[in-house]
Amino acid sequence: MKRNQANATHAPCSSRRHFLAQQGIAGATLWIAGALGQQSIATPPKPNTAPVNYDLKPKPSHRPAQAKSMISMFMQGGPSHMDLFDRKPEIEKRSGENFSGELKYDNAAESSAKIWAGPWKWERYGQCGMELSELVPHLGSIADDVTLIRSMNTGVNNHGQSIYALHHGRVTAGRPVLGSWLTFGLGSESQQLPAFVVLTDPGGLPVLGTDCWSNGWLPSVYQGTVIRPQEPRILNLNPPPHLTGKPQKAYLDFLKQINAEHFANRPYESDLQARMGSYELAESMQSAAKEALDIGQETEATHKLYGLDQEPTREFGTRCLIARRLVERGVRFVQIYTSTQQWDHHANIKDALPAACKKTDQPSAALVKDLKDRGLLDSTLVHWGGEMGRLPVVQNEKNVGRDHNTYGFSTWLAGGGIKQGCIYGQTDDFGYQAVTDIVHHYDYHATLMYLFGLEADKLVFARPGGNGTLLDGQPGKIVEGILKNPILNNPVPNNPVAATPA
Amino acid sequence: MTPKSSLAVILFMPQIRPAGLAVAQRRLPTHQLATRILSLLAICSLMTQAITTLSGTLAAADTDPPTPEQLYFESSVRPILKTHCFHCHGEAEHREAGLDVRLVHLITKGGDSGTAIVPGDASASLLYKRVADDEMPPGGKSLSPKEKEILQRWLAQGARTKRSEPQTPPLEDWTEEERTHWAYQSVVAAQPPKLELTSNASTAESLLSPVDAFILDKLQKQSLSFSHSADRLTLIRRLSFDLRGIPPSHEEIANFINDTNVDAYERLVDRLLADPRYGEHWGRHWLDVAGYADSDGYSEQDTERPWAFQYRDYVIRAFNEDLPIDRFVLEQLAGDELVPTPWEAISEEQQRMLAATGFLRTAPDGTGHEGVDQNVARNEVLAETIKIVTGGLMGMTVGCAQCHDHRYDPISQRDYYRIRAIFEPGLDWKNWRDKNARLVNLWSAEERQRAADVDKLLAELEATRLKELDGIVADIFEKELMKLPEEQRQEARTARDTAADIRTPEQQKLLRDFPSLNVDRGSAVLYDGARINEFNKKFETQQADIRKARPADFFLACFSEVPNQVPATHLFFRGDFQQPRDPISPGGLSVLQEQDRILPDAPEIPTSGRRLQFAKMITQGVHPLFSRSMANRLWMPLFGRALSSNPGDLGRLGEPPTHPELLDWLSHRLVDSQWSRKNFTRELLVSNTYRQSSAKNGLHQDKDPQNALLGRMSLRRLQAESVRDAMLATSDMLTLKMYGAPSSVNPDEVGQFILGKATRDGNGILVAKQEEVSDTYRRSIYTQIRRSMPLGVLEPFDPATMTPNCDRRSNSTVATQSLMLMNNSTVIRLSEHFATRVIREAGSDATAQVTHAWLLAFGTQPNQEQQARSLEGLVALRAELLPKELDPAKVEAETSKSQHQALALYCQALLSSNAFLYVD
Repeated sequence: MKRNQANATHAPCSSRRHFLAQQGIAGATLWIAGALGQQSIATPPKPNTAPVNYDLKPKPSHRPAQAKSMISMFMQGGPSHMDLFDRKPEIEKRSGENFSGELKYDNAAESSAKIWAGPWKWERYGQCGMELSELVPHLGSIADDVTLIRSMNTGVNNHGQSIYALHHGRVTAGRPVLGSWLTFGLGSESQQLPAFVVLTDPGGLPVLGTDCWSNGWLPSVYQGTVIRPQEPRILNLNPPPHLTGKPQKAYLDFLKQINAEHFANRPYESDLQARMGSYELAESMQSAAKEALDIGQETEATHKLYGLDQEPTREFGTRCLIARRLVERGVRFVQIYTSTQQWDHHANIKDALPAACKKTDQPSAALVKDLKDRGLLDSTLVHWGGEMGRLPVVQNEKNVGRDHNTYGFSTWLAGGGIKQGCIYGQTDDFGYQAVTDIVHHYDYHATLMYLFGLEADKLVFARPGGNGTLLDGQPGKIVEGILKNPILNNPVPNNPVAATPA
Repeated sequence: MTPKSSLAVILFMPQIRPAGLAVAQRRLPTHQLATRILSLLAICSLMTQAITTLSGTLAAADTDPPTPEQLYFESSVRPILKTHCFHCHGEAEHREAGLDVRLVHLITKGGDSGTAIVPGDASASLLYKRVADDEMPPGGKSLSPKEKEILQRWLAQGARTKRSEPQTPPLEDWTEEERTHWAYQSVVAAQPPKLELTSNASTAESLLSPVDAFILDKLQKQSLSFSHSADRLTLIRRLSFDLRGIPPSHEEIANFINDTNVDAYERLVDRLLADPRYGEHWGRHWLDVAGYADSDGYSEQDTERPWAFQYRDYVIRAFNEDLPIDRFVLEQLAGDELVPTPWEAISEEQQRMLAATGFLRTAPDGTGHEGVDQNVARNEVLAETIKIVTGGLMGMTVGCAQCHDHRYDPISQRDYYRIRAIFEPGLDWKNWRDKNARLVNLWSAEERQRAADVDKLLAELEATRLKELDGIVADIFEKELMKLPEEQRQEARTARDTAADIRTPEQQKLLRDFPSLNVDRGSAVLYDGARINEFNKKFETQQADIRKARPADFFLACFSEVPNQVPATHLFFRGDFQQPRDPISPGGLSVLQEQDRILPDAPEIPTSGRRLQFAKMITQGVHPLFSRSMANRLWMPLFGRALSSNPGDLGRLGEPPTHPELLDWLSHRLVDSQWSRKNFTRELLVSNTYRQSSAKNGLHQDKDPQNALLGRMSLRRLQAESVRDAMLATSDMLTLKMYGAPSSVNPDEVGQFILGKATRDGNGILVAKQEEVSDTYRRSIYTQIRRSMPLGVLEPFDPATMTPNCDRRSNSTVATQSLMLMNNSTVIRLSEHFATRVIREAGSDATAQVTHAWLLAFGTQPNQEQQARSLEGLVALRAELLPKELDPAKVEAETSKSQHQALALYCQALLSSNAFLYVD
């Protein structure tokens, strides 16, 4: 009888791995597990107690998936929904009067109860007649492809907590983010590129820093991999600039020679050969990443579409274009960030809001158009939104801005099974609180998971004190009103996706 | 199987088994002994079969299919039912369908649906039908085809038992099959086998240690022999990594190679064992077993454990001082019970003993964390601690018996709670003491007084500060008030002074209309930043000045019990602490008849004394599980695998030892040598087995590809810590500072965990940057182990995972490792330091540089061909790195810089090579 070789290669104590670990080469140093424990045919077989080996190989979803990949453009700071997406005639009518209800302010010192209407005009777009601000005309041009949710709510009136809530379901640090869950549940279609990619803004890290792509307590193979704005683009995958290209090639050539000689004296040690092979694999991953980032391969028309020919849109457009190239090559989840608090318009909203829109409106709409032209939109979920909206009243009367509001704000989604030309939910007359069809962060998560064919409650990871899930016991419901197709309700067995060790 | 080989085994095995029989004799009537001996022989013959299969000399396909053997309930069927069915159909309070499947006569009797089996007819047997159709067990957990086949065959053969059955399933009366598992048998004081030397004559010389006789005996049976001895360079490199975890310096190598004394090798072994680096390297092995970490784990919070390092330091010292293992274990289990209370002004020796109990505080611990069910967390601390203790010291997965009897091993649920009762007085979940309350303050009386004085001054200052702050808040309010029409001001003052819940609607509206009136201590800074900043600075300076007089915190995190407070331990139905059942007394495993060995509370100490007794019980004499476990663990790092290859599980799911007689002999040896680790290790190191060459040839590949029989040394990859430490040593950057708080680990700008303190970047976001300070280059054992933040340069190379502890490391070969060696900034920086060292020591000549770097990396000069190839490599690298356009004004500087970069890249190739990463 043969030993259980699969069992033997599964090494114990290995659960944490970085993003490229799935390229494991079956090491030649096998455990002797089972070797001398050969037992009589009549003895019952031992169970497989080898620890689960976490990897990024593609895994089947619970149900048929509509979305296969996702690009999320996270607008940190909180775009002013009542100036962009959620027109409020009552604000326009009563601008200058005192707001009569209770408001929660973040900045008491500059606070005021005075209602304020922005100076921007509104227009209806598309066949669906979506009413949008003049600041986002490009979004208008894809209105018939998107669902605009006007009733988002996280209920925690600060950036950090609300960003956490939208990233991983709770308001405190340390949990695995959405991209980690998706790659944990589904792996990745590409074994050459990282499964979960983060494109940070050259202006700096998002406000919560690296927590935004933390694998939390999931194995670290599910951590987001940052493609940096400057060289080396991917740490540990690319060397520093002075070693890139030919110098590293020369290093690898020399290394290959000395390893070959070493192996020639140890011809039966296949582990050594495997390690030599792993350098070749590493090289091929480098070239795959380099190719994916090479936007020079795109046509001039594409560059133009994303606004790469203009200063205000070039940088953000480039990252949107890279995101498209990544999902095209099988990357599961791409997260794009704007620079720290770019949308946090406590003051000077009259200039700063148009500037922020200028930066993202054309590229984000281009991304949807481009994906659609390439037939990728049906399987790619696109998200645009921040962690909050803003208050209907003035902050800082000397230099008008708006304070935080997480009780009602807007977000748009497109592709991957999302309804087209749809407006969902409502805030009250002043845009302060979501009142109709409220979408909490956990509803949003349950819906995204559903579109990926996953049931949020059944994708679990065994933890001290019980199973860990994305929703963490919160009553997340699938928001049927934003779905293109009716909800499938066939039962799902418990945790078929990712077996986890006890 | 040839008759000859089975004869050899039968002749060989009885030497090692009589004690096993002695155990049996204690419990069994004589008439059952014959069966016992037969079954033992059957086990022996199975082992031989296994060995022959392993070596491939007798492929199964070459022999006739075995005649269908008679299956018995006890040996073949019961283990299947125990695994899958006993819990619901037997052990639990409520028996599903009224069916008990623990005895054949009970199965025959059946349950609500009538008889469950028809002997001789599987297809008519309800039990078989339900199982064959996957209706049972429920929840999709069906039996394997092989298990079903065994069940079917046993029924077809008449559903026989080997022995007559009792009326009711006896509690903890383990079956013969369970009791005779190898690990529970007494450890035999066997003599090394007397060998008929069948192979070449030089074999006689190769018996340098009794260990060799055991190894050679098995080799010869497979017509194998020892390999020749490794050369001295290989030996010193192997010894240095095995004992210290770092490579030998080239001076050490030269000294050893040129040492002409006959005992050069033995003296080298002694020297390395005496090196303080030994404790750092071997201490790390023990920390794996203990599950040591500098943070709590458990929840997202993963709170740091700032004082955990004192246990790590205790372990390192214990290894360096060769603290006998029995004492080492006694102190770790019950050091607190050896130190009289109160613990004030305690001696260094007493501090050491308290620090030892850190062993019992390594488990992940979510108590005190936010959002965590405290009762669950407390009980899990106990559960994880039990896993660490029983897996680590006894090689038993006792933890599996928390909810029901162990499904594979003779460990009852009662056994589990007996062991829990040993630790529950210190981890009393109903009277939990939080982590700070458990800290022992190591201040002297004078220091305590000084701290109290300082705290008093600080409290006074704080009162002053708040008073002043309230004054500022009042000023701000008055200023804001000026924004209101004058007639409303007094009204607003009144509104603000009125408690929120009794304000009139008018008052509420007023404050709503002028929200900026709501200034308080926290928001004052938003109104008048300059004033508040100045205010803060003033008080911070004063506080800092006062605090200077306060002695630095000096605590010890240890395990302890509250004197005279012993909680009752209950068996928990299904492991659920909300369903307590019988009270349980402390004890050991019933299969070893230790259930009553932890006596009632010892009167001479104020605590329960249970751990003290437990420690004494397992360290007294030659305990079958403890002594085998320790010997097995000490063997593992030197040969790449343990004799029983899963040291955390010597039970049925683990692996039987490749050399059971040797393991027993070593266990005795360990006890006979007063539990001295160093003596024991020395004994292994001077053996011929250890000194063999690692060269693997076709014969090895054919007969023993995994080297289970040790006809050569195994080629081994460096463990994670040694990969880093060897790079530090080779680049001459290693900081040898021992002990104390660890070097901090934090996320850098992309979330990789690096060594460095977290500081705020230009945008105020917390990131770490690696610093070029000596603490960055301490040995890996002194880097902070945060359960949620594995250090990036160690992680790819399979460090221990602490969930809760690690019995053996894995050994993967993945592209991540290569990418790290190619591109990681730490590796690149160390390569640059390595190049700097080479230039410092070898000058500017290229040949001298490549030769010296080679010597530093591999311990030997390159041969001519290697030297020529290296030179070629360096020249190629120089060409690639020389800037295409040189600034005429800086030709020299730029050339020199690029040459340094080229040499660094050459050095990096050496550090990334297999010759560096593997030990022959």
